[in-house]
Amino acid sequence: MMHSDIKSRPVYQPLVPDLAGGRHLLVVEGETLAAGRLEELAGVFAPVQARLHTWLAGAAAPLGGLGKLWQLESAADVVDALACASRGYGVGDRLYVQGTEPFLWSVATAAAVIGFGEKQVQLYHAGSLRRRVWCTHCHGMTEGVTTSIVACGGCGRHLLVRDHFSRRLGAFMGVMVDAEAPGEIPAIEEVFA
Amino acid sequence: MTIAFKPEETFRGDYTYRNSDAAVLRFPFPFPEDRYMYSVNIEPHVRSGPSDVFMRPFDVDEHYIAECRDKAITLERDPGRCQVLPHMMLAQWDTLELLMESLSADYPALFSLVKEGDDFGSRWTWTNRPLGLEQSFIFGDPATLPCEPFEYITRQAQGDFAICDQRDNNLYMDAGMVTSQADWSLEFDVGMSFMEWHGPVPLAHQTGVFERALKYLLMLRLGQPVRRLNWTMTINPRLDTSPENFPEWGTDRASVTPDNAGQKVHLRVELQTLWRLPRSNAILFPIRCYLASLDDLARVPKWGARLHRVLSSLPRELVEYKGLTRYLPAALEWLAQHDDGAELPVGTESGVTTLAPR
Repeated sequence: MMHSDIKSRPVYQPLVPDLAGGRHLLVVEGETLAAGRLEELAGVFAPVQARLHTWLAGAAAPLGGLGKLWQLESAADVVDALACASRGYGVGDRLYVQGTEPFLWSVATAAAVIGFGEKQVQLYHAGSLRRRVWCTHCHGMTEGVTTSIVACGGCGRHLLVRDHFSRRLGAFMGVMVDAEAPGEIPAIEEVFA
Repeated sequence: MTIAFKPEETFRGDYTYRNSDAAVLRFPFPFPEDRYMYSVNIEPHVRSGPSDVFMRPFDVDEHYIAECRDKAITLERDPGRCQVLPHMMLAQWDTLELLMESLSADYPALFSLVKEGDDFGSRWTWTNRPLGLEQSFIFGDPATLPCEPFEYITRQAQGDFAICDQRDNNLYMDAGMVTSQADWSLEFDVGMSFMEWHGPVPLAHQTGVFERALKYLLMLRLGQPVRRLNWTMTINPRLDTSPENFPEWGTDRASVTPDNAGQKVHLRVELQTLWRLPRSNAILFPIRCYLASLDDLARVPKWGARLHRVLSSLPRELVEYKGLTRYLPAALEWLAQHDDGAELPVGTESGVTTLAPR
């Protein structure tokens, strides 16, 4: 994860099961599973295995030890599944998410809608640093951004990708980089690979 | 007290906004010393201070009518400048009550409020003479107003307003009417915690300014509002310097020369006040914006010289954060002619009762 002085940037911690929790839901973005990571998670979550459900998005799980396992295609499917699960989860339950930042905040936002409070949710950033960027000017989202400056998918303006982050939008702020001097666009660098 | 409104002046396009001599003399100049750094400069919002703008809790000045019109134009173009999260209805009524009571008590010739009771369910009649509005409504029933109560009353007030909900020992910006902001986005910030929305401010986090300010504000008491001044610079007297419209006003920054800096470059001062609200326990955060050109300010000798010194010694991080980089040299060159280097008294008072002729 990148370091930043901007305090709106979330700080992520390793996932640790909260033994006081009732049911435990672990949601993992498959592409962020480094070799051995599933085994590691199985070890960490062993104390709550009997009450654990694991949702794995976009990868196959050849392994037991993660409670009841459910495989989904994508982040969108996780969001849909959460939206349908509203009657199933309560204040005693815990949610743990591992993934890229856009994945984490898609899931966290969907969970908040069905009543998961901040203290019930743990987020662990893994895998690519790519960002979802919110255009300050047209309010459109550009997904999968890996460069310091990106052409907005909505209005086409060249946006400087800032570290300022909105949890509600799950996105970083993008501001027109050449608004003061049209056409003066600094070198574009690959920084969020 | 009568206010000579200037209903036709504009804050965009041909920029006909001007300050009268009286408006310059009451400008809330923010620099008591020759150097500036962030601090927790919060003080009680009492009816006294070095500028006349502190004499009433919600200041109304000669720009009132024109500012309300500019706000309406901005809202017409972008209704998202007013946003209220669903749990904030009680705080909306708190805000309406505070503004209507204050304005009608302090400016009885301009505003009046007739109440049949203090509680939800009573009939109130609000009259706003400068804008030609009269509205009877049931306090507590949004259906009896033309729009939700927060939007209704803040459309009739100068400056921006945020409401901060207090929970988990933190403040969350859960409502806002933001049409004259110094380059921050309500759409991006709505719902953020205190530290998050202050995230981009340089240098101040490291010195613990925000921790102390938050601790102080969580203890804010009903009937004991506080205030602070904040500042930046704006090219042309433009209220809507939103990041949304940066493509419209960004190029203005490249238009400043040592010859036109006096008219183009404006000091933008925000009188920020903070009010505990009685029913919701939220905090109302009005941000009232005052604009004065360098020409205006230099007519007060102490202010022209002091501004030159403050801007000359401003830390690089602040120059960048406030967006001054491109035109600061031209502004400094213009201001230098108004600074003879003589020692200036500490304090923000103008030290004069009349202005040098233009």
